[in-house]
Amino acid sequence: MPQDRPPLTEQELIAYFEGALDAPAQQEIENRLPHDPAAQALLEDWAQQNEDIRRLFPAGSDPVPERLTEALRVRTARPASAPWLRVAAMAGLLLLGGGAGWLSHAQFAPAAQMRPMAQAALAAHATYVVEVAHPVEVRASEREHMDTWMSRRIGAHVSPPDLAGSGFVLMGGRILPADTGTAGLYMYENAEGQRITLYVSRQTDPEDSAFRFASSGATQGLHWNENGIGYVVVGDLPRDELKSLGTSAYEQLL
Amino acid sequence: MAFLDEVEAQIPDLRRYAHALLRDAEAGDDLVQDCLERAVARQGQKRPDGSLRAWLFRILINRHRDLMRRAPRPGHLVAVDDLSFEPALPASQDQHLALRETEAAIARLPEDQKRALLLVALHGASFDEAAEALDIPKGTLMSRLARARASLRDMTGRNADPAHQMRNKR
Repeated sequence: MPQDRPPLTEQELIAYFEGALDAPAQQEIENRLPHDPAAQALLEDWAQQNEDIRRLFPAGSDPVPERLTEALRVRTARPASAPWLRVAAMAGLLLLGGGAGWLSHAQFAPAAQMRPMAQAALAAHATYVVEVAHPVEVRASEREHMDTWMSRRIGAHVSPPDLAGSGFVLMGGRILPADTGTAGLYMYENAEGQRITLYVSRQTDPEDSAFRFASSGATQGLHWNENGIGYVVVGDLPRDELKSLGTSAYEQLL
Repeated sequence: MAFLDEVEAQIPDLRRYAHALLRDAEAGDDLVQDCLERAVARQGQKRPDGSLRAWLFRILINRHRDLMRRAPRPGHLVAVDDLSFEPALPASQDQHLALRETEAAIARLPEDQKRALLLVALHGASFDEAAEALDIPKGTLMSRLARARASLRDMTGRNADPAHQMRNKR
């Protein structure tokens, strides 16, 4: 009887263990198992592996973060245009109006460049906020010149938002090398001398995105994509303060 | 159930899987967010008869492949010695050590094996569903799981078969 059968192979056991067999095949393995201690040990071990994995990564008991449920409403809830920063060189706005055309275009777009951009912004922030003598290349007092110059170098019309409502006054801006060409960095300072930066760069991925956080030590970045431009607000601030600054910047797009 | 509600119902499982893949809750949530945004943008592409769950996991897995294809970012490389976790239930010292060993071993699995193993282990995904989510034939999934489970046994020193152990000695 079953004793005469060769030992169960690993392939047979895996298929059995993962429930990939039909009922007769399943039954066949069950009949042979009692005579195959090695196979029994293997099955026990696999069950233990599954249990370990479930213990290592337990089902989250924390509530689903709002940004995830918000991501489901992004398409309908988000405004489609951004007057304060507009990509003149790209046909983004026209395509946005096109609805289906834009969506079908977006789904073949390359992967989002979110994370490299956020990293670059955090690095730029760390380099320049500590600068005493030359924190910016062009001061805010030369605003018109700054906007023209930076827009030309970045290849899109850019102009920094007013964050004075949150206590942060524009100091000025500079340009930086970036993966996608040239990026811009605006620096703001509040009455206590605390500085935040806004990093701006063109993105090859035309897809808009919701707000996301990135961090490096105590420094937090909040980034998003809009009309082919990526923005990162960076500061040594709690996330809720950063979010309100980001929202304020974002709302000035409306 | 409306499409968005059905998607929303899958968020906890997607988060758990993404967290396990990246061993970082925040990065895991980023991955889930990417996946959800793409799912909403592409809902028209889902085959009406296909499993929504497998489709969502497939989007998430494709995003994870993209992420891994790019240069791994230093911020997310965790030294094996620094691995730590909070067990769901209080564990004895031995259990704790065994879990840490398992965690370190999973971290060292090739990405394709890790994706397959975590998918079936965490979610009790049906075998067909897992093959669909991973976009591979069932035979491939079978051998991938066998390799992953054997590596895990070797790395955690639970492989009791001396001949097998010898073969795997460096």
